Amino acid sequence: MGGVDVGGGGGGKRAVNAEINMIPFIDLLMVTIAFLLITAVWVTNSRMNANAQVPGPPNTEPTEVTTPEKILHLHIEEFEFKLVWQQGSTVVAEDKVPKQEQTDKEFVKFGDLAVKIAEQWQQHGGHQDPSDQKTDQCVVHADNKLPFRELVGVLDAIYDKKREQNQADGTIKNVPVFNMSFSIR
Amino acid sequence: MSDHAKVIKKHHDHHAHAIAKPGKRLMHHVPLAFVLKKVLGHGGRNVNTALNLTSYIDFLLVTVIFLLMSFSAGGEITVDKSITLPNAENVEDVIEAPMVAVNGQSVMVDGTPAGNTRAIRDAGKVQKVDELFELLKRKKELWSSFHPDKAFPGVAILQVDVDVEALVVKSVFQTAAFAGYPNISFMVRKRAKAGGGEGG
Repeated sequence: MGGVDVGGGGGGKRAVNAEINMIPFIDLLMVTIAFLLITAVWVTNSRMNANAQVPGPPNTEPTEVTTPEKILHLHIEEFEFKLVWQQGSTVVAEDKVPKQEQTDKEFVKFGDLAVKIAEQWQQHGGHQDPSDQKTDQCVVHADNKLPFRELVGVLDAIYDKKREQNQADGTIKNVPVFNMSFSIR
Repeated sequence: MSDHAKVIKKHHDHHAHAIAKPGKRLMHHVPLAFVLKKVLGHGGRNVNTALNLTSYIDFLLVTVIFLLMSFSAGGEITVDKSITLPNAENVEDVIEAPMVAVNGQSVMVDGTPAGNTRAIRDAGKVQKVDELFELLKRKKELWSSFHPDKAFPGVAILQVDVDVEALVVKSVFQTAAFAGYPNISFMVRKRAKAGGGEGG
């Protein structure tokens, strides 16, 4: 049991060594542990963003004619990934990555694809400045038969590369360099 | 002394018996009281023993600190039991939004049936799921009536089973976008990065 030993004592007086009763303290700890264990969430779910690129409401003001942005089109084929940078209908760059997945039970990872996407973005990405609030677009072209687990593996590779972006509150946040959307065929 | 007298004296000497009463004998001859007490076993140790609780309290404290650090006040988001979520590394925290669950048989919005997966598969092309569209549209109108001053965020979260085909995912994705939810998130299980750091 916990106690305080101040030495001395004896001489016919009351003992000066005081014993602190630790039982209430242990009870409190036990109750806290029980509460935290009962309310604990062991499986943490998260999310991956996507955007359907739906056009906004029509703008009545006359707009300037601007050059279209470069968009990365990612084609998921049977044995490889095709990365095509397009500006409007013009193909700016094209590259291929062999489809080598690192599968671990429910986890599919395309490490080579993530590296290649990061390289491509360094060369062709249009929104690299921290003050730029926009994000480059990546359009995923997937076969209709592709299982969702592989699709998530590809999305994971797209969101692997991050850049710094200034926030409205003055802070700097690491954000994914791409925002993805699906090509609907 | 004659031999007879010797025999008689031997009989009266209790030390002369060949068989003696069992018991402790060591140090009986020491003429000190505390030694005799020890030898006879009367000066025994106190039967009340105080346990050392310091290590136990340390263990409890470490457990409490660990549980407090991993405590999440956000609560658990229910995932349909028929759905196995995929794992991913580059993820964000879940936000409050309508949950669209898609498994091998059906599509559900917050537990309400909103379409049939098999029908989408049989159609063989990306199409609008009418029930899902109506349900999501109604949810959007309800939200707007409760928050007339705010812009609708248009966020929906899809809980899709790992084995569902891309055709179904694209159909649900497109339907949600048509219903006013262009910002779609896919729910996944967070997996720690192999390197431990952020990408980029």
